[in-house]
Amino acid sequence: MENENRDEMIIKQQREIEREICEAIPLVSQLNEIGSLNDEYENDEVYINKIKDLQTKYRYMRRTRPDGNCFFRAFAFAYLEYLGKNTHDYISFRSLAQESKEKLIKLGFPQFTLEDFHDTFMEVVKKFDPAEISLDKDMTEELSLTFNEQGYSDYVVVYLRLLTSGKLQEEADFYQHFIEGNFTIEEFRHQEVEPMYKESDHIHIIALCSALDVCVRVEYMDRGDGGKIKAHDFPEGKEPKVFLLYRPGHYDILYPNK
Amino acid sequence: MSTPARRRLMRDFKRLQEDPPTGVSGAPTDNNIMIWNAVIFGPHDTPFEDGTFKLTIEFTEEYPNKPPTVRFVSKVFHPNVYADGGICLDILQNRWSPTYDVSAILTSIQSLLSDPNPNSPANSTAAQLYKENRREYEKRVKACVEQSFID
Repeated sequence: MENENRDEMIIKQQREIEREICEAIPLVSQLNEIGSLNDEYENDEVYINKIKDLQTKYRYMRRTRPDGNCFFRAFAFAYLEYLGKNTHDYISFRSLAQESKEKLIKLGFPQFTLEDFHDTFMEVVKKFDPAEISLDKDMTEELSLTFNEQGYSDYVVVYLRLLTSGKLQEEADFYQHFIEGNFTIEEFRHQEVEPMYKESDHIHIIALCSALDVCVRVEYMDRGDGGKIKAHDFPEGKEPKVFLLYRPGHYDILYPNK
Repeated sequence: MSTPARRRLMRDFKRLQEDPPTGVSGAPTDNNIMIWNAVIFGPHDTPFEDGTFKLTIEFTEEYPNKPPTVRFVSKVFHPNVYADGGICLDILQNRWSPTYDVSAILTSIQSLLSDPNPNSPANSTAAQLYKENRREYEKRVKACVEQSFID
């Protein structure tokens, strides 16, 4: 028995589960009312109260596919949506993104494959130049199309993962303190950051926000007491541009009340 | 039809031709870019020296986000190679990074031949001999090297 190829059997089973999720949930959904969350938590007092609290601050949400890439995908969608309406921030982001390739190559990432991801990433970024977009509605539709096309959507996720990994490497002495278990930064990057479908933790969020110089607010909704959801800004003290809902193991996009 | 996976495989192939790493080669099969044949030459100063080991690499449309399935076609006696030719190597499983290309895959397998990991055995006999009876291990490896000339 021992010499059977168990790795391939496990991989095959994982792929079947993933296929079922793919068929059920789009990569990024249309806008849903926050109230639609109630359907998932019938008769569940704790969550129902927290959804009420969430509604005092947010009106809509977009669900993302729970494939382990949800943080990166949700972040990219929400941030590009913000940038598409904010010329000043868009311009500085675009030049930061443009220059990031050289920086990652200097950190030792393989140039040949990095270029492939960077080219696609920049192609997507350029689509959402506020100067090129006349209507909010057009932009949102274009974002939905782009992010539901697996090729583009996944390449954007990969590039964000590489930026995150690069930041961890660049400031390894700092991030080493946040790593649980016996991982070195090197092992953590290769095992938990760069591979697709690996879930994100605080450390991924902190490193990505720092690499892109942006603040993300995450609203935590779990079984904890108090009936209120808890917000956490990464990093603290800056104005958040991206709003995400966290439920254990998963991130979705939130839209604040205007 | 051009898809991200196919475009990337064309690039991988171009790079492998223009900048071939020592001791490995690979190319898509005649009518399907998703299935490649490859050869790894046994690294010098190892019992695999002089062997020419054939492999197949099968990609899916999810490449490079997911690793391909790589398998030895030639018989290989090695702690991390299964009887069916499947390879137990972390970068082909849970440590796969989309930044790896065909060239990186083949050179990683080549290094695995030189440096087996007997703690995660796919072939328990090979792993045990590697740890406890290196002479017998090398004898068995050399037998598969000779076999590789005939294949």
